[in-house]
Amino acid sequence: MAVYKRRYNSYTGALSPEWSRFFVLTRYAFAELFKSRFFVILLILSLVPSLFFAGYIFIANNKTAQLLMQLRSAGLFAVETQYFMVIMIVQTQLAFLLNCWVGPVLIAGDLTNGALPLFLSRPFSRADYVLGKLAVLGLLLSAVTWVPCLLLFSLQGGLARNGWIWSHFWMVIPIVFCSAIWILMLSLLSLAVSAWVKLRIVATGVIFISFFVPTGIGEMFNAIMGTYWGRLLNFSDMFRLILVKGFRERSGPLGQFGSNEIPVAAAWGVLILVCVLSLVILNARLRAREAVRG
Amino acid sequence: MMNPTIELDRLEVQLGGRTILHGLTGVLKSRAIGLLGPNGAGKSTLINTLLGFHSPSKGSVRVLGLDSHANGKALRSLVGYMPENDAFISKMSGVRFVRYMAEISGLPPNQAMERAHEAFVYVGLGEARYRPVGTYSLGMKQLAKFAQAIAHGPQVLILDEPTNGMDPPARKRLIELIREIREASDICLLLSSHLLRDVEETCDEVLILRNGQIASICNLVDERRANRKFLELETIGAEQTFTSALEGLGCECAVFSNGRIKVVMPDRVEIKEVFKVAADRGVQIRRMNHRRDSLEDIFLNAMEQTGVADGRI
Repeated sequence: MAVYKRRYNSYTGALSPEWSRFFVLTRYAFAELFKSRFFVILLILSLVPSLFFAGYIFIANNKTAQLLMQLRSAGLFAVETQYFMVIMIVQTQLAFLLNCWVGPVLIAGDLTNGALPLFLSRPFSRADYVLGKLAVLGLLLSAVTWVPCLLLFSLQGGLARNGWIWSHFWMVIPIVFCSAIWILMLSLLSLAVSAWVKLRIVATGVIFISFFVPTGIGEMFNAIMGTYWGRLLNFSDMFRLILVKGFRERSGPLGQFGSNEIPVAAAWGVLILVCVLSLVILNARLRAREAVRG
Repeated sequence: MMNPTIELDRLEVQLGGRTILHGLTGVLKSRAIGLLGPNGAGKSTLINTLLGFHSPSKGSVRVLGLDSHANGKALRSLVGYMPENDAFISKMSGVRFVRYMAEISGLPPNQAMERAHEAFVYVGLGEARYRPVGTYSLGMKQLAKFAQAIAHGPQVLILDEPTNGMDPPARKRLIELIREIREASDICLLLSSHLLRDVEETCDEVLILRNGQIASICNLVDERRANRKFLELETIGAEQTFTSALEGLGCECAVFSNGRIKVVMPDRVEIKEVFKVAADRGVQIRRMNHRRDSLEDIFLNAMEQTGVADGRI
């Protein structure tokens, strides 16, 4: 079908492997995202705290710099588990903001003008479609959570020496796993909202609401029933609990977990339940054709 | 031996608790198949079932020997689909949209880009290919959908109401393209349309649905050939010798009152030979009706039938 001949010819060339085709969606989604200046600015701002954290690690491990800045080692916050928990909490909250901006447009753009049948009429399943969109958020949120955190961990390991990296190597697991569950939950939730609500601003609002309204309901439940189980509806708190337990601490940097603490298994359960509910919504919404009941 | 294009085996599809397709059974062997039926007949449901969007509740449907349910992915790798409704990504430029779809079908990025440009030029949207699809007119959107359906070079082209919203010149152009594609390649075509003329101009075989059942399966090529043989004459002066002479040519004749004669001609006999026989015997042919059933007749006959056809008409 060469342009100058203007006639139809079927395609007989090589095809890409089927398993890799979901990544076409990811590639095109990133290309669209990087056209937005606001997104680029937001992404850069999300990485700025990591530079400050890196600067702090450098100063904490450099006597000359401390002398020049007239700081005393004893007055500095130790670069240990609590420090990395702070990094994780800051970066995961920034990931939440980034997710609120990026997530709502990923599926809504395809649903608004009925493009879904075009995807699904090809050798491309709904699972491939979700995987392709999930990879966008997965890669993006990884770039602002566990990736900078591991880089900072490596930096501290390199500067501290004396086997610090080996004695703290276990921290890699909570850094990766806690980030993974947070990224998975945020991504699936925002994809589910994106599949449900087509207008970006409304979808962003719904993501915020889905975090803050359950928290408020949970607190009311606690106040009325005199219990602490209402905290299960506070997803950020549940993530913090998982983080604290993952880092083998009793308390988090932003508050104490008392004797009436929720079991960590329940916290995992809540976040996994949010993921499952999001998948149920995606399964209901991502259909090439809707069946009319009645 | 080549597989039939579409095989329906007691296909039943239920949606939302309602049975939409009621045990369709039939074999369609032509390379260009038209799908006809009034609104709600089940045309789109059948197409969606072919594409694997709906699962059959009973029976099965096979396209080129591939079961739509069991071999869905393999079947969809052969298909180019142009949906009836709006289906595009509004912010993308036309050529990028088609490239995107071609890449999802498995074409490597460079090949997809090349074929997207070619498809756009081919459908006549070359000048508009860098504009966002959302800014296209309705007719241009139809052509963009057509371009994405053919860019990856499918073996089966499924077109659902392709000429909807097109002005007459654009419709004519699209029909010409469809015919050209059909003739230039070994592609199989399934075209669903309300416009009988679209189907008549592009298809060799027609499946007519009514209330989710097969009203008729009709091979248009056979129908056209059969119609070409049938003549109705009104004559003056025709005697036994005229009909005997026609029978001598191999024709079958039935004589009625007032000089009316019905003639069924064999393939080898041309109409001019009938005129020659009449001239030799001084018979005046006052009127000749070379009767031919149009697709409209076939469609209306199918709609008028009270029962359900289980075979060919």
